[in-house]
Amino acid sequence: MVNYLIVTFAVTLIYFASAERLSTYVRLIALHGLLLCGIAVFELKEVNLVNLLFIIAETLFFKAMILPWLLGRIIGRSGVTRVHRQAVPGFYMLLFSIAGLLISVSLARILLNPFINTIYLAIALFTLYTGLLLIVTHQLIISHLIGFLVVENAVFFFSLAVGSEMPMLINIGILLDLFVGALILGFFGLKLKPHTNELTMLKD
Amino acid sequence: MMLLIFFILSILLAGFALLSPGKAITKGIAVVFSASLIALAIHAWINTGSTELSYFTFDGTSVLLLSVLALLTLPTVYHGFIYTRDDTLKRFNIYHSGLIGLMTFMTGAYLANTMTVLWIFVEATTLAVAVLIYHDRTEIALEATWKYIFICSTGIALAYLGILFLGLIYGRGDTPNLSFSSLSQVAAKADPLYLKIAFVFVVVGFSTKMGLFPMHTVTIDAHSVAPPPVSALISTTLMNVGFLGIFRVYSLFASSPVLPFMNSVLMLAGVLSLLIAAGYMLKAKHVKRMLAYSSFENMGLVAIALGIGGQGYYASLLLVILHSLAKSSLFYQMGQLSRILHTFRLDECGKYMKLYPAGGAVLLTGMITILAIPPSGMFIPEFMIFRAMVTGGQWLVLVVSVILLTFVIYAMSTRVMHISFSPPRGEGTPVMSDVVNPAETISQFVLLGLVIAACFYQPPFLVDMISKSIAILPK
Repeated sequence: MVNYLIVTFAVTLIYFASAERLSTYVRLIALHGLLLCGIAVFELKEVNLVNLLFIIAETLFFKAMILPWLLGRIIGRSGVTRVHRQAVPGFYMLLFSIAGLLISVSLARILLNPFINTIYLAIALFTLYTGLLLIVTHQLIISHLIGFLVVENAVFFFSLAVGSEMPMLINIGILLDLFVGALILGFFGLKLKPHTNELTMLKD
Repeated sequence: MMLLIFFILSILLAGFALLSPGKAITKGIAVVFSASLIALAIHAWINTGSTELSYFTFDGTSVLLLSVLALLTLPTVYHGFIYTRDDTLKRFNIYHSGLIGLMTFMTGAYLANTMTVLWIFVEATTLAVAVLIYHDRTEIALEATWKYIFICSTGIALAYLGILFLGLIYGRGDTPNLSFSSLSQVAAKADPLYLKIAFVFVVVGFSTKMGLFPMHTVTIDAHSVAPPPVSALISTTLMNVGFLGIFRVYSLFASSPVLPFMNSVLMLAGVLSLLIAAGYMLKAKHVKRMLAYSSFENMGLVAIALGIGGQGYYASLLLVILHSLAKSSLFYQMGQLSRILHTFRLDECGKYMKLYPAGGAVLLTGMITILAIPPSGMFIPEFMIFRAMVTGGQWLVLVVSVILLTFVIYAMSTRVMHISFSPPRGEGTPVMSDVVNPAETISQFVLLGLVIAACFYQPPFLVDMISKSIAILPK
């Protein structure tokens, strides 16, 4: 079952790379939250109940509900619905994404370790790659935000992959999520006005 | 025990400062905090090598960097009082509460003896700095704060991935507590591939704080907007936090087979930092951005020094300390420059020596000091770095570094000379509408004096502490 969830997660990442509607991104972020919750429930059998509840609360409420809601508000305020300023066309993004998946799988095989499931490592690397790809190839603040949230999911995914051994590290990863989610989205995300969507005032 | 008292006191003082009913009380709170930080630094010197609260150790490197912070705390608070004197009470309180928070978090990061605690405090510094960069509440401040938080958070997330890879070097069944002492025991026999990946992630992640290539842009933008006393901290003690993160991991892996790889990564990052800094300094149009690029250049040299090894280790730590003193005095001076000239744009600056001789003298002395021109104490570590390059046979790095530093010297000296003696290039002449007391420059002269004194005499306690810090590194 957990493998189906991981593969679904990987498919959403490919969709991320090619999507252009911001509302699609928001739905995908919410879906990521649900999938990560499912993976955590199936995978982390050895952690204690309090830790598990903490992780479920973080994924189900924070990642699948609060973050998409905040993102929706930011998009609603900015009035921007599509990623019209994309440095790379969608077709090439799709190619980059698939290339990234192949590279991630190859890297995961090289990094084979008795601690960690190869499929976890491959998808964690692919998630990181997709997040950075979104940040680098898009120009709108909202796209950068979504790219960052995908990077966050990569961190969470990776910490889940080693989680049975290191529950403390998962909690720290969650703290990162809460910190950044609350601060970036809740405060600065809502403060940024539509005309500051492109940050160009500070330059040499 | 002392550390616990310090942390509790800091939390209380930050809270009181936020809720203070008057500016005088807030000022008193900030001074009390500075005194407690200085007391902690003295305690750290006396108890070097001891561990407190399980997660904090007063080792050589942490004591040195804590001492630099303690040395800068009073001048930073003092210049902060001047910068915020016309602010509303609420904004005044937020500023000083944020400053107390930032210095406390930096203290925690310096003293942390595990990777996870270090990482948590580094993340906390981002929160405190964001409050301070946003102090002026302008659109440009919002943009700078946004960029700072966004890039720092991305960098911190990457550093966290590096820490996760560090956790994987433990054997199955071991409890990965990620303390530096525990890591040093397992690093030597760990899979080199994992060590290399962990090191690259840590360098990229902590480069957001150190202001090193590839995540250097974040600190440059923050500098141009942040209040000058805050810029002084971002450019010195906060950069030292990033340096410490990289230095810790480098020290842990130094006895493993990945040492040559780490050296190559650091030298590459250092040379690219020098290249970008030199390029941007040549076209700099904003005084504070120019100083920010100068910090970037110095951190590049520090990375090269670490990468070269040998004498470079000693030089890197000495350069970090002296750069902190010199650069902070220049940034403190920027507060006065803005009150005299009402701008940071180089085209609109001029005749500063005539308008404010004390400030002009700080600017010129600071320029000589930061460019490591004798009698600057920074000449000593830079000379040691070049000597280490020669003895290490790093001729290409030597030639490239010398050429790039020549560009840096040209760019900075022509611009500082222009500010000091030439009329502004724009229309009109500069008008001094604010009376600035020359006594405000005393702390800046004292700090610059310390850097110059280091050219002639380095006290044995300093040499001894630096030697202790690099004792575990290969000779």
